[in-house]
Amino acid sequence: MASIDPAFIFLTDLIAIFSIYAIINLSLNLEFGYGGIPNFGKVLAVGAGAFVAASVPGRIIAAIANIEGDYIQNNLSVVAAADIWIVDNLGLTMVIFAFTFVIAALVGGGLGALTSYPALRLRGDYLAITLLAFGESIRIIGNNFPPLVGGTLGVQVPDPLSFVPDELRFPTASLILIVMAVVAYIYCEMTIRSPLGRSLRAVRDNEMASESLGKDTGRVRIKTIIVASALAAIAGALYAIYTGSTIAIAYDRGSWTFWPFLMILIGGLANNKGVLVGTLLFVTLRKVIIFFKDSFEWIVPFDVVWLDMLLLGSILLVVLLFRPQGVIVEKPTHTLGRRTKSKGIVRIFNLLFR
Amino acid sequence: MINPVFFDAAVFASLLVLLSLGLTLTYLTTKVPNFAHASFATLGVYMTLIAVRVWETNPYIAVPIAFVMSGLVAIALYIFILKPLARRGATGSIQMIATLAFDMILIAGLNILADYLTDGFRIKSREFTLRSYDLEFMDLPMIVMIAPLAVAIIGIVLYLVLKKTKFGIAVRASTENPDLSGTVGINVNAVYGVAWMIAGGLAGIAGALMALWFLGDPNLGPLLIPSVFAASIAGGLTSIFGAVAGGLLVGLAEVLGTRFLAGEIGSWLIAYRPLIPLIIIAVTLLFVPNGLAGINWSKVRSKVWRR
Repeated sequence: MASIDPAFIFLTDLIAIFSIYAIINLSLNLEFGYGGIPNFGKVLAVGAGAFVAASVPGRIIAAIANIEGDYIQNNLSVVAAADIWIVDNLGLTMVIFAFTFVIAALVGGGLGALTSYPALRLRGDYLAITLLAFGESIRIIGNNFPPLVGGTLGVQVPDPLSFVPDELRFPTASLILIVMAVVAYIYCEMTIRSPLGRSLRAVRDNEMASESLGKDTGRVRIKTIIVASALAAIAGALYAIYTGSTIAIAYDRGSWTFWPFLMILIGGLANNKGVLVGTLLFVTLRKVIIFFKDSFEWIVPFDVVWLDMLLLGSILLVVLLFRPQGVIVEKPTHTLGRRTKSKGIVRIFNLLFR
Repeated sequence: MINPVFFDAAVFASLLVLLSLGLTLTYLTTKVPNFAHASFATLGVYMTLIAVRVWETNPYIAVPIAFVMSGLVAIALYIFILKPLARRGATGSIQMIATLAFDMILIAGLNILADYLTDGFRIKSREFTLRSYDLEFMDLPMIVMIAPLAVAIIGIVLYLVLKKTKFGIAVRASTENPDLSGTVGINVNAVYGVAWMIAGGLAGIAGALMALWFLGDPNLGPLLIPSVFAASIAGGLTSIFGAVAGGLLVGLAEVLGTRFLAGEIGSWLIAYRPLIPLIIIAVTLLFVPNGLAGINWSKVRSKVWRR
């Protein structure tokens, strides 16, 4: 097999991780940026989506294809057999994975509904602490309850792209992921330009005033959290399928709550373009540090992993202190026209760039 | 022979009381939920490690050093990050994120320190235990007595300082009404700064003491912080007594509660111990948001009495 250019691998992986984080950050921006709900339990929905992707499609395929062995105990052999089965049953595989995403979105939305219970009753930092506690619980349960995602050992996830030749697998995945991210972006832009989006901002900026104008502030909040959690769960499922394995311990509050906050704060709150910029900056910086780890090694007298944390923490503090509005500042959004004569493609262009 | 689980409970509960006292003090004064608080304790853990393994002296020497070091770090967090943020009118959530970012930097620093100790002095600086370096008193490890004793002394001193001294009155005035206390000549910023230093220092003491009983690691902070928040929130986040009661409640519930339930139901339950503080946080905030301190005890007592 011809060796693949490392720069190419670097780029495809960058695109994939960027797309996944972009979806999560867009959903967080919907909650925190536009809605003012400090969802410090973002990891709850992301982890739930990943757990669904790790436990549902594999079991369905094993049942349909009559693969011997317990899904958790004989995970490696079951998933290997499932990957072979996928090559011959493409149509059915697509149906199963589409079904998986629906389940992930439903579970995410359900957890969002659960999250909205405290979100209606608590405010500010009390809410943030409660949601943090909610988010933390998913890792503990996943880690100690093996039937879910194999506990401390983790599980492999069947690869819907196993029919693609090995050297094209990751580029194909990146392509699919970036398309998903663009769809999520268009969806979020349409949401915030809709009446719901405007009520959301009104609720964030002055709850009492919007209530006096007849907005049901509670409903607006619940809707937002459910939609955002469903979106985040889909991103989690995509991540689990992309990496091909899931382990509960990977769903910690650092990677899936704190970093998304960091990215949207760097990019600029309540601003979907800013979210993309922040995500790109963050993901690129991290990838570059990891990629050039060996060349850093003798410049700094300690392990580069810590340099990574030092840099990211300091960057966030500097942004918070000196440019609290982020790279791109929140602007009034253009509303969706009631009757537009422009064609579909022009409207999508407007959504993306106007 | 006393069952060692009671030692675990005594040391862990003392640790939580010290940490939640500090967390409550900073929340009371500056209204910031400080997520870097438990990492101040980790710094204390490393002070004990250095005292015992590098300087090879009595482990309790580390206690005052840890107080000063963690206090300085806490005051730096307040002066250089939280105060400027508050002046710009940043919301509570933004300040909370700032403490998380600071925690990240602190943990990276502790990891670098751990690497340095391993490379420079050939010391095991991750997942280490220092139990064998503790002194003995009446055939018992001394820490088991020192920790509750330290908590009692610190609690009483803190109570007396807050109730009887001029500084204590200034602290209470600046939490009640910062603007008014400024006009009567209290330097509110200095008061807040001292509160942060005391809070950090207490966390440092907690860390220095716990190093003699529990495993030490640079990444202890994030593991410990849910318990600390549970303790403070159970105590109501507004009262010193509440913090003590909450620390005892969460500490004992975590150690003795899991042990008891595991005996009754099955040992698989022990793994779910980290869920206990999370449940305490959620239940308290949703149903008794003012915590133990918010319950009107005299009312409860009179009700019980009448029956």
